[in-house]
Amino acid sequence: MNMENRFRLQVSLVILLLLGLLAWFAAAFGLDYRFALEKLPLLLGLQLNPEGLLQGVPLTVLLCLVSTLLALVIGLASALGRLSRNPLLYGLATFYNSFFKGTPLLVQILLIYLGLPQLGIVPDAIPAGITALTLCYGAYLSEVLRAAILSIPRGQWEAGKALGMSSRAILRFVVLPQAMRVAVPPAFSLFISMLKDSSLVSVMGLWEIMFLSQSYGRSSYRYMEMLLSAALIYWLLSVVLEVFQHRLETRMAASSRS
Amino acid sequence: MNKQGLINTAAALLPLLLAVPAHAGTTLDRVSNSGELRGVLLESYPPFSFLNSKNQLEGFDVDVVKAVAKKLNVKLKLDTPSWEVIAAGKWGKRWDICICSMTPTREAAQVLDFPVIYYKSPAVLVVNASDKHTSSIKTLDGKKIGVQQGASYERYLQKTLKIEAPGAIQPSFPFSKVNIATYDNEEIIFQDLALGTGKRLDALVSNLNTANERIARGGKFRVAATLYAEPNWVAVDKGDAQWQARVKQVVTELKQDGTLAAISRKWIGSDITQ
Repeated sequence: MNMENRFRLQVSLVILLLLGLLAWFAAAFGLDYRFALEKLPLLLGLQLNPEGLLQGVPLTVLLCLVSTLLALVIGLASALGRLSRNPLLYGLATFYNSFFKGTPLLVQILLIYLGLPQLGIVPDAIPAGITALTLCYGAYLSEVLRAAILSIPRGQWEAGKALGMSSRAILRFVVLPQAMRVAVPPAFSLFISMLKDSSLVSVMGLWEIMFLSQSYGRSSYRYMEMLLSAALIYWLLSVVLEVFQHRLETRMAASSRS
Repeated sequence: MNKQGLINTAAALLPLLLAVPAHAGTTLDRVSNSGELRGVLLESYPPFSFLNSKNQLEGFDVDVVKAVAKKLNVKLKLDTPSWEVIAAGKWGKRWDICICSMTPTREAAQVLDFPVIYYKSPAVLVVNASDKHTSSIKTLDGKKIGVQQGASYERYLQKTLKIEAPGAIQPSFPFSKVNIATYDNEEIIFQDLALGTGKRLDALVSNLNTANERIARGGKFRVAATLYAEPNWVAVDKGDAQWQARVKQVVTELKQDGTLAAISRKWIGSDITQ
């Protein structure tokens, strides 16, 4: 057995032991897990809610997927604004960043959902939720991207200039590809965090995972059972993201060696 | 048009531009034009409104709002925003009615209108079943009492509760000062009280029907005392007198023809709508 395989085996043993401890702790609650199992299809969103809207896992995944993609665009724009010497762009990006990082997401959701109707625009809950998640996580992401861009040595820019490349071309073909590698781990931590923060959209009456588990838990008086099921679902979803992150890192490492 | 004329015209138009708040009849028009009544409800307040095992909303409040929609001869659409969102008012054309066990406190009456009462339910003091002695809130001075944040029970414990309804009997406060523990959700309050008297809580304040529902399901609690009669009213967004009158008329008819009494007997076991 080589060193690498031995290490992997030992890691698996440690993780199995920890999982066992967690299962023991969960069992110590003395909960009725058959009940949670019955409600699982509803949390998984295998059917629509009575108003014909998505519910459970598909709703959470939809909200997070769209918000993540939009946050990448806004985050990159804001990061470039913060690195720009144009006073308007810098001012806009700095203000946006400070406001959406510095105020609670719940307040942002309510500002969009309850505030806009006072101006005559009445957004539905799903677009309002996506807007709030995008703006909030775009601000965090912009800091991650800005730090990643700044981590690329000045020499790279100077080398690009010496080759006669424009600033835009250097950014696009030299700096950003390297910066992305640096940004992947913290960016994925943000995506996982967004996955769980998305439960705040339930204040607008969206039946996402936490909303359903709390509602079923309260109305059937099996609160912990339902919360633990929700926790397990979130964890599995975030493991999917972790696997994706790992693959992306491996691919980027391989392409940078070649 | 001369300059003076322009200013006069502008002055005449200004009030029209500023008159944004709901005009009388807008909600009524919306409901009759769209053929749809949009109600708000809580999703986890058994037996009044909750998600059942078939993923449908049901309960006392749900049946009442269904009966109202039927009487108005329109379709019903139900939304479940959080209590804070409902109670903030300024619904911005989103919703038409809230039959969701709301008490017209002074604060609520500032942001919502309350056209008609539909049931009364006593607010009660609940203790752990092992506490055989407590029979009044008088003896709980300095003790820790759990209550849901934003509920009228919280204002009762702060001794600031005032019910803004015609003919309402105002509660009395026969205690000097209790230690109020506010919770985000009622489930956790009951769980903390279930740990035993004095562990985290000495008592809690809730509604007789929700407390009885829990005791019936094997909760180790005891209703120690009735605190005050809590009237629950239908709530609508501020400023539409015609809609209020229509809602009042419909609910009164439902009371008279026995629909409300039947719904009450189905969910509560007795008639709390009189």
